[in-house]
Amino acid sequence: MEFAELIRTGQAQAELLRGPEEPPLRGTLCITGHHLLLSPGPQATPDLWLLLLRNVDSIEKRVAGDSGTITLRCKDLRVLQLDIEGVEATLDIARSIEALSSLESVITSFPFFYRPKGLRLGDAWHFHPPECYYKRVARETNAWRLSEANEDFSLCPSYPRAVIVPRAVDDSALARSARFRQGGRFPVLSYYHAPSGTVLLRAGQPLTGPQKRRCSEDEDLLRAVLAGARPGARGFIVDTRSPQAAKQARMTGGGTEAKAAYPGWKRLHRLLETGRPLQESFVRLVEACGDLEQSMDRWLNRLESCRWLSHVKETLSTACLAAQSMEQEGACVLVHGAEGTDSTLLITSLAQLILDPLSRTMAGFQELIEREWVQAGHPFQLRCAHSAFSHARPKHEAPTFLLFLDCVWQLGRQFPLSLEFGEGMLLALFDHAYASPFGTFLCNNEKERCLCEVRTRTHSLWSGLSQPKEQRKLRNPLYVPNPLAIWPSAEPQSLRLWQGLFLRGTRPPEPSEVAWEKVWQIVTDQEKTEGSQPTDSASEAGP
Amino acid sequence: MASAPTSKYNSHSLENESIKRGTFFILIDKEVIYICPFNGPIKGRVYITNYRLYLRSLETDSALILDVPLGVISRIEKMGGATSRGENSYGLDITCKDLRNLRFALKQEGHSRRDMFEILTRYAFPLAHSLPIFAFLNEEKFNVDGWTVYNPVEEYRRQGLPNHHWRITFINKCYKLCDTYPALLVVPYRASDEDLRRVATFRSRNRIPVLSWIHPENKTVIVRCSQPLVGMSGKRNKEDERYLDVIRETNRQVNKLTIYDARPNVNAVANKATGGGYESDDVYHNAELFFLDIHNIHVMRESLKKVKDIVYPNVEESHWLSSLESTHWLEHIKLVLTGAIQVADRVSSGKSSVVVHCSDGWDRTAQLTSLAMLMLDSFYRSIEGFEILVQKEWISFGHKFASRIGHGDKNHADADRSPIFLQFIDCVWQMSKQFPTAFEFNERFLITILDHLYSCRFGTFLYNCESAREKQKVTERTVSLWSLINSNKDKFKNPFYTKEINRVLYPVASMRHLELWVNYYIRWNPRIKQQQPNPVEQRYIELLALRDEYIKRLDELQLANSAKLSDPSASPSSPSQMMPHVQTHF
Repeated sequence: MEFAELIRTGQAQAELLRGPEEPPLRGTLCITGHHLLLSPGPQATPDLWLLLLRNVDSIEKRVAGDSGTITLRCKDLRVLQLDIEGVEATLDIARSIEALSSLESVITSFPFFYRPKGLRLGDAWHFHPPECYYKRVARETNAWRLSEANEDFSLCPSYPRAVIVPRAVDDSALARSARFRQGGRFPVLSYYHAPSGTVLLRAGQPLTGPQKRRCSEDEDLLRAVLAGARPGARGFIVDTRSPQAAKQARMTGGGTEAKAAYPGWKRLHRLLETGRPLQESFVRLVEACGDLEQSMDRWLNRLESCRWLSHVKETLSTACLAAQSMEQEGACVLVHGAEGTDSTLLITSLAQLILDPLSRTMAGFQELIEREWVQAGHPFQLRCAHSAFSHARPKHEAPTFLLFLDCVWQLGRQFPLSLEFGEGMLLALFDHAYASPFGTFLCNNEKERCLCEVRTRTHSLWSGLSQPKEQRKLRNPLYVPNPLAIWPSAEPQSLRLWQGLFLRGTRPPEPSEVAWEKVWQIVTDQEKTEGSQPTDSASEAGP
Repeated sequence: MASAPTSKYNSHSLENESIKRGTFFILIDKEVIYICPFNGPIKGRVYITNYRLYLRSLETDSALILDVPLGVISRIEKMGGATSRGENSYGLDITCKDLRNLRFALKQEGHSRRDMFEILTRYAFPLAHSLPIFAFLNEEKFNVDGWTVYNPVEEYRRQGLPNHHWRITFINKCYKLCDTYPALLVVPYRASDEDLRRVATFRSRNRIPVLSWIHPENKTVIVRCSQPLVGMSGKRNKEDERYLDVIRETNRQVNKLTIYDARPNVNAVANKATGGGYESDDVYHNAELFFLDIHNIHVMRESLKKVKDIVYPNVEESHWLSSLESTHWLEHIKLVLTGAIQVADRVSSGKSSVVVHCSDGWDRTAQLTSLAMLMLDSFYRSIEGFEILVQKEWISFGHKFASRIGHGDKNHADADRSPIFLQFIDCVWQMSKQFPTAFEFNERFLITILDHLYSCRFGTFLYNCESAREKQKVTERTVSLWSLINSNKDKFKNPFYTKEINRVLYPVASMRHLELWVNYYIRWNPRIKQQQPNPVEQRYIELLALRDEYIKRLDELQLANSAKLSDPSASPSSPSQMMPHVQTHF
């Protein structure tokens, strides 16, 4: 097998430090094609410690005397230190980890080999197809249809096979609109807001170019959207770039919708930074959080200068704008930036969480991520190739999905009862987006996933998370369904650093899991009490 | 999660009708314009009674817009003159102790603001007009008496005192030894009353080292006092040196006594010029001295002023975090918490007895001893335990509430005023955030305490020390705040409280884990208000009910079980013995 060439050593004796809180682990270290393993001696606990090599973001080695130290900084922001006996062994292990953790091939990645007990291949992949969401829409309105024009991914490689479009627009018009939009991303339905009868759409930027080209099919499509909503409905186009940037994009063939060409639609610009600036903000923040030497009286200044919380603020307030336009102004909303695969998805998915109580349930949230991120073509493989520690030159990395999770965390903090899932779910999603034994976040879009046969050859994260033993970690014990829209406050005073993630290394004295567990106990004790009668057998369950 | 929402105004508003008991009369009832900093001018009718000021809107179905006890007012200013132009330029500007300002615009004709200004001045500052503070007029009745919560003998007995090293002394019965200390003190068994008198001459304001808390297992103690009167010449006092040595000898696990001086080193040195100082190690051979770098009352007052500047009326938005940092408020919180952690750790893990003092031993010392006790002793984390802690370490040991808060006093710029107690409550809130299941009380409990710190509705925080309170017969003539709280405890309970014994809490005092108490400092701003207040509260109440139900069921089960077990021969497990065991479940 090909990995064997990259593994330069069999095994070595090592001690592992996992942070200040946890006791060091001693044992035999070895490397397989996908994992770093530490098997403790027979006297210790029999548990094997396992690290997915794909999780390694950066590796640092030092040798002194006849031993060496390897520091592994992981994509999930954990920092591990390995003290290894023998200089040769240290160098060999370091080289092996370097080589194996940077393998780019998808089909040799671990999800293609992962076969956990109790799960069957193919399960859960069918959980959330576009057809499923369409059924929900069709129950409310018949202005929309499910089009399979993209069956072979020829219109748009980053869209799924089936998309929801206005009934009045036929497939050939879609094809022409697709040619007028970046990446072929013609406007499609993202969310139907039944209470106001309005819709949320997303797309790529129109390719107007310097000549200010127009496309009548694209214009018809947006006209049909307004016609399908309530009579006299208006539309807002939320462009996630500044007006200047949108104008400038014309020079490179892009652009934005001309007012005259789209009657009834009004353009709003809300600048959301993506790509490089966002990645740099993430790197600076993680660096600040890990810098324990840093003099404490400058912490807030430093936190502010990382600008991560301003990204959270801008994202949340733009999502509120989109949601407000629908709910309170009764307008339809189209969101796009340039490609329509990053900030666009941030806004459409957050607006749904604000408006749609179903998306705040466990199943609904998974469906939302599957539909608005995975199938909507967020390029996970490119964006999550490296996390905040990598020294490699950043290419396409950007923590857009993490920014989404952070915004959801802020929502959960402000509305502690309204989300069925808890912080544990958000942390798990972050971990799996960057390195996972499951196939859900592999590749950049549906087309690639089809080519790699991800659906038939790997397990879905959703079936992994639905295991009963995971539930207590992922669910919010205080959840009460809330039928209303939840409007978050995006004021800087209302936003917090997500400590559970960014301060993973320097944890508070009572980790939230401990408190979480106690709350669970109080909540589940109810069921016990209700079920039990003062009988002999019940009293055995007492203290 | 232990946060109960604050009501839109403050916690007085709902109880107001119940305190109209003859003592309560309306002094003013007139039309004004309230210049709300958030929603613009509101036309309303202002009512001023001898307890509070409230305002009903004339626009939206006479909604209650404001409800402010006169006790929170620190300053009343006239704005504009009879001839000033411009809309709403003539009126009153009222500065409050709870981080807000109220502005009212009145009609210029006929000196219409004069009576309002005069009435407010009289009743907000009764001391300057030889009027009684409202607490002495308040005839509210509650079904429990908060004054019985704290009984020093019982509290010391709970700690296992007296024992063969420590005795209870009544030497200060008539406040002759020290007029700012309580009547009852705990001192080393081996120190005679004569020794105590000699030590008193060498301690600022005679505040001698006395026991605050004793560790139930290792028997190390926390002792509090004021600075020694060393002075420029480096005076010594043999009795003081021997007295500290006697304290050290009550604990034989380590051979050093630890002294924490709360001040920064330079301040302690500077205090020598005014006759004070610190215990130098060439005189106190068996003691180690550490400085905790906590600044004085003036620094804290200025810091809180800066906090108000960035949160009221408008919240500083563009550079929120760096503006917050420049107030240094959180840094001061951090230093106080760090100091308390050191005290607690020294006693618990270092097995060394600890002496804590600052200059006079009634501000920083009270913060440190009470926070350390809160970390060490889970009893103080219950509602009644916390009341006892405040009653003991703050009220009975002479934290100068009257001077620090300025109850009924018009001198708003008095240099003696300082938010020391607020800072302590903030530290408690930070701890409750880090340990969401460790405290029986919720955020509303802490905010209610702070509201009544100023309101003058209760006698709890009046006067500077126990001797003054006794002279004024405060416990006979006023109602205790704990009566209000303990007669409606459920409102103040944290549903996630899990009772536990012997767990020491070490909060993280790093800036990364401290945050501004937004629900208190920015509570007047409607844009920042806690989201979804009512459902959270509803769910809390449900959970509390569930918990009680569960305890009851378990209790029944145990009774049934033990009845079965208790055959005539012998069964030692009575239900009452098992109860504490049951409760550890929560």
